[in-house]
Amino acid sequence: MNTRYSDKRSLSVRILSIIGKVLILGVTSMFTAFPFVWMVLSMLKTKTEVMNPNSFFPAVPQWSNITKVLFDSNIPKYMWNSTWVSIVIVAIQIVTGAMLAYALVFLKFRTNKILFTIVMATYMLPVAATYIPSYIILANWNMLDSFRGIIISSTVSIFGIFLLRQGFMQIPKGLVEAARMDGATHWRALWEVVCPMTKSSFITFGLMNFISTYNNYMWPSLITKTKDVYLVSQGLRSEFLANTAVNIDWALVMASSAVVIVPLLVLFAFTQKWFINGIGGETGIKG
Amino acid sequence: MSTKKVKRKYKKRYDKLPTVLFFVLPALIPLIVFWIYPISRSIWLSFTNWDFMTPNYKIVGLRNYINLFKDIRFYEALTNTLIFTLGTLFPTIIIGLILALLLVKNFRGNGILKFILFSPWITPTVAISIVWTWIFKVDGGIANKILQLVGMAPYSWIDKSSSAMFSVILVTVWKSLGYAMIFYLSALEKVPGELYEAGALDGASSWRQFFDITLPSISPTTFFLTIITMVNSLQAYDQIQVLTQGGPAGSTKTLLYMYYQLGFQEFNMGKATAVAVVMIIITATLSLIQFKVGEKWVYY
Repeated sequence: MNTRYSDKRSLSVRILSIIGKVLILGVTSMFTAFPFVWMVLSMLKTKTEVMNPNSFFPAVPQWSNITKVLFDSNIPKYMWNSTWVSIVIVAIQIVTGAMLAYALVFLKFRTNKILFTIVMATYMLPVAATYIPSYIILANWNMLDSFRGIIISSTVSIFGIFLLRQGFMQIPKGLVEAARMDGATHWRALWEVVCPMTKSSFITFGLMNFISTYNNYMWPSLITKTKDVYLVSQGLRSEFLANTAVNIDWALVMASSAVVIVPLLVLFAFTQKWFINGIGGETGIKG
Repeated sequence: MSTKKVKRKYKKRYDKLPTVLFFVLPALIPLIVFWIYPISRSIWLSFTNWDFMTPNYKIVGLRNYINLFKDIRFYEALTNTLIFTLGTLFPTIIIGLILALLLVKNFRGNGILKFILFSPWITPTVAISIVWTWIFKVDGGIANKILQLVGMAPYSWIDKSSSAMFSVILVTVWKSLGYAMIFYLSALEKVPGELYEAGALDGASSWRQFFDITLPSISPTTFFLTIITMVNSLQAYDQIQVLTQGGPAGSTKTLLYMYYQLGFQEFNMGKATAVAVVMIIITATLSLIQFKVGEKWVYY
């Protein structure tokens, strides 16, 4: 962009600015990566080695720490719980969100604007303010401490509605009208005309909400009490607490955290661009 | 008007109704049950003395609010929330912008750096806060080891009330840097190149270009990020729950954490919902400002 100008700068200034740039990027990315690196190094140590701050690298990598977490702990079960619950929740959220977004964009009705304002206003409120009454509702429905309760209280994503609405508005209205002329129902117009054209919005919606549901902690931890229905964050937290009660084995704690974190990092490595679309795209709204 | 005409008009107005309802209700019903009703119910409960255990309760008017506003812990939580919010906001926005400025031009390794810087945002806060607890450990933790290596005195991190808030802020900034960076990257890419060309022709220095062209062009993003970071800070829970549980001595207890303790540990629902209403008012005010100011800006 401003290459013409940079050429005018003296060589020393240019070298200095490159050094500065490398330094800033180096320090911040080391700061960012460090907890991950330290977690992996710590999980491969023995129980005594991990407590010794002078040993940076494990003398002999203790892979058994990982196998212990994978085969002798509840962590894999919690991960499975989080995985399938998140998939079910996101699938429902996509259907409800797409239908509402379709109505907002393509169905002309009188309360259209009011409805959008209501959705918008809901988005602005702190979700925690709903927790006490929502808890009571689930208690009355006998759904506390169950997967059903977690799922049924998260069937709508307001972020997703915004994201899809934004995508749908880019589609020429004529296309939907043409499909309607050909005899397609609104239902078919949504899934066979609109959806394929806004595939990237749907993928972004799915991935971002999958991750946030998978990681979700506060609400699921308030409504569940038995280990069988813990999602991964609460499960990890409870293992950690149980561990701190006795003589804590930090290597094992780090191994548990790593088993939870690493698959997410791998998933993220392959899907990064969809997240960037979701955050930096036209919507500018966070989930 | 004849009745026929009225009927036809009626029909025209309502024959779309089933379709509209079919498309709207699957989202609207849960939205009402788990968002709109609970919010209004919270506001209602804040005027009662309900204790969760007994089914009966009395309307006590403003008593919960009066008690709250007399409670020194409320002001401590309010101050903590403010410190936490501002302490997170400035580093996130400033470092996020610097990173975006350095990464906006493509170079070798650019992609991997973006990946590293953005990765904390998708990791579960609980899991990574456990890792930070381990890093922060006063004896045997790596953070103090590093301080020792560079010749600095050991720090108390999450062990003392004087340093716990700083540690929680550090973790939160660590987690949100990449998010701010991604936002700024997409804003910077949208600044028209001609602006810089014109600036260069006028002989503007890099600094002048930054302050006269870049900064004004991305100001809507800065504004949006400011609001969203503040709203998120107000709702931070996971890292506080794992790192400090609001302690030591209440030094990291924010409004949300106070709400959680009042509601789900002490079952003082009246007072808890009064805190919730305070949070609703703060968030709604911030969002309204965002909405009103945002309207004036042209996003491109």
